Amino acid sequence: MTLTTPNNPLEEAHEQLMNEPQKSRGFWAEAWRQFRKRKLAMVALYYVGFLVLVAIFAPAIAGTKPVVVKYKGNYYFPAMGYFRTSWENPIFYKDRFRKIYPENLKEKDPDSWAIWPLVYQDPYRRVRDGEWPGQPGNPTGAKGAPNRYNIFGTTQYGVDVFAQMVHGTTVALLVGFVSMGIAGAIGITIGALAGYFSGWVDMLLSRLIEVVMCIPTLVLILALIAILEKPTIWHMMAIIGCTSWTGIARLARAEFLKLRESDFVIAAQAIGVGRLRIMYRYILPNAMAPILVPITFGIASAILIESGLSFLGFGAPPPNPSWGTLLNAGRTNLNLWWLIVFPGMAIFLAVLAYNLIGEGLQEATDPRLRGAGR
Amino acid sequence: MLTYIVRRLLIGAMTLLLITFVIFGLIRNMPGTPLTVQMGELDPSRKLNPADIERMKKAYGLDRPWPQAYVVWVGQLTKLDLGRSISRKQPVTRLIAERIGPTMLLSVSSLVLTYLLSIPLGLTATVRSGKLDERTMSTALYMLYSFPSFVAALLLQVFFAVRLEWLPLFGMTSDNYASLSMAGKTWDIFLHMLMPVTCYTYGGLAYYSRFIRANMQEVVRQDYIRTARAKGVSPKRVILVHAFRNTFIPLVTLIGLTLPSILGGSVILEQIFTWPGMGRLFFEAIGERDYPTIMGLTLMFSILTLAGQLLADILYAVVDPRVSYS
Repeated sequence: MTLTTPNNPLEEAHEQLMNEPQKSRGFWAEAWRQFRKRKLAMVALYYVGFLVLVAIFAPAIAGTKPVVVKYKGNYYFPAMGYFRTSWENPIFYKDRFRKIYPENLKEKDPDSWAIWPLVYQDPYRRVRDGEWPGQPGNPTGAKGAPNRYNIFGTTQYGVDVFAQMVHGTTVALLVGFVSMGIAGAIGITIGALAGYFSGWVDMLLSRLIEVVMCIPTLVLILALIAILEKPTIWHMMAIIGCTSWTGIARLARAEFLKLRESDFVIAAQAIGVGRLRIMYRYILPNAMAPILVPITFGIASAILIESGLSFLGFGAPPPNPSWGTLLNAGRTNLNLWWLIVFPGMAIFLAVLAYNLIGEGLQEATDPRLRGAGR
Repeated sequence: MLTYIVRRLLIGAMTLLLITFVIFGLIRNMPGTPLTVQMGELDPSRKLNPADIERMKKAYGLDRPWPQAYVVWVGQLTKLDLGRSISRKQPVTRLIAERIGPTMLLSVSSLVLTYLLSIPLGLTATVRSGKLDERTMSTALYMLYSFPSFVAALLLQVFFAVRLEWLPLFGMTSDNYASLSMAGKTWDIFLHMLMPVTCYTYGGLAYYSRFIRANMQEVVRQDYIRTARAKGVSPKRVILVHAFRNTFIPLVTLIGLTLPSILGGSVILEQIFTWPGMGRLFFEAIGERDYPTIMGLTLMFSILTLAGQLLADILYAVVDPRVSYS
């Protein structure tokens, strides 16, 4: 479509100047342009980007394992052990480091050097006295209020809250993306099938959506978690994903029902394009914008569900740092306010950011709402 | 209309059967049974001997495979019998009846409060749309909407109960409740209610006022509003009488959709404030593997969800004569 509205003299002049038909922006480019206009939504997007960076560089921000170390002539990256235990080179087990790097490095190889994380604190254990030159051991219990070495305080057992929160970012982000990825895949598939084929397929699938919608989510989640003997964070993501796809499916169904009747689909059917191809190459890209909105809001609610479950004590097993687990620790001892304020704010900001992005997306992709928000 | 309702009810009954079947299967497959979980945890010496367990299993129908047990459960249900709680040795209906009051105390008062506050807020937002005060208010409300209620609950507890010691930390009544006078009892419950009701209300407040504002903005652009303005109706009257009455339709349907949460309560909030309501009962029942109670509550929640949806659709047709189901 070209911008040729003859009754607009300005545009006509512009047209003559350019002397060639101008290509209008594509749907996504236009949506992005609209989205960028919304300051709050952009700030939220930057914040999520910041969280992603924190999650990726978590071991370099807070940890007790050096990021890079030259030890006995070789380079190692022990901090990678925070992502996966096996990524920490076994040589440090063999040489009996016992996870305490600073003194062992000096003792066992005086020529070694290391690049340390910004904050020498561990999300899994208490840092003891003299472990790091000049840094006292972490205080425990009520003495663990925020101080110079533990900026967000420590837990009952002296584990640093800041380190746990930094490492817990990974969980919060993954829960959002993975569970909504699963929910999106299920929801779009079911909604697409129901909307495109209609008839009895639609009848059956709509009933299925209704049944899953009416099952109280918490019953389903708690029952599924109870069935798994040892739920890990990945199980949680799968469970949250499998229970929260109904809204997406309903929207996808409505979009497919609507677009099925549109001219370009009928044209595609006429020239004999396969059904699957029509569904995924023709309709889905056009239906994606409205579907992305509930997915974004879904990420926010997935973060809420995960932290809520961890808070109730149904989350991933305790050694895993999670914002909800910290809150749970704070609940058992309300005097340690820093266990509630900091993780609580982290959850709040993450949820707020996703809600703002979702709303920005909604306004940016829905022409009726354009100009409504600022 | 009548055929529509009958059809919806029939579909609803089918949905209910499916839901209860799925949940029944799920909870019967959770590890542990009501007998092992409960007795073993309390006191190892009180563990039942195998013969007793067999006898009790028979008494509660736990010896049957779960599909068969489900049929028995449905059979009892047709006689309006939800069975007896295994861990509490009481009929499930009585347990629910005991817990429904406290839950409704919280949810109804928070619902009333939400409507009382959000309607003026939403209307003010419409009138002042785009101005600095409206935008500040809307942003603040939006932030509240995103604030997790369990974090808010903990913060309130830390501040008002632990620091200032103004409000009781949790529970519904104080220890000396029985000895208090009538007025004292009411005051006591009121104090205990303050924090939970705040947590229930604030999120909804943002949601409802935004909802009202969004609908109002649509209505305000209509021709009949311009007509009303043109013929010199006062701005107040335009907003309250001409515009707001038309946003009442979606607002009414929202009531239908909140029905399940009115009675269901919030599991997490009731758990934090140890409020003796339905959500807490549900949480405890899952921990105790108390199958009849879980099933009773699930059935109730599902019926309420379905009824809420149906009610919303019917109300929609009642308040808006343009909508008809035929």
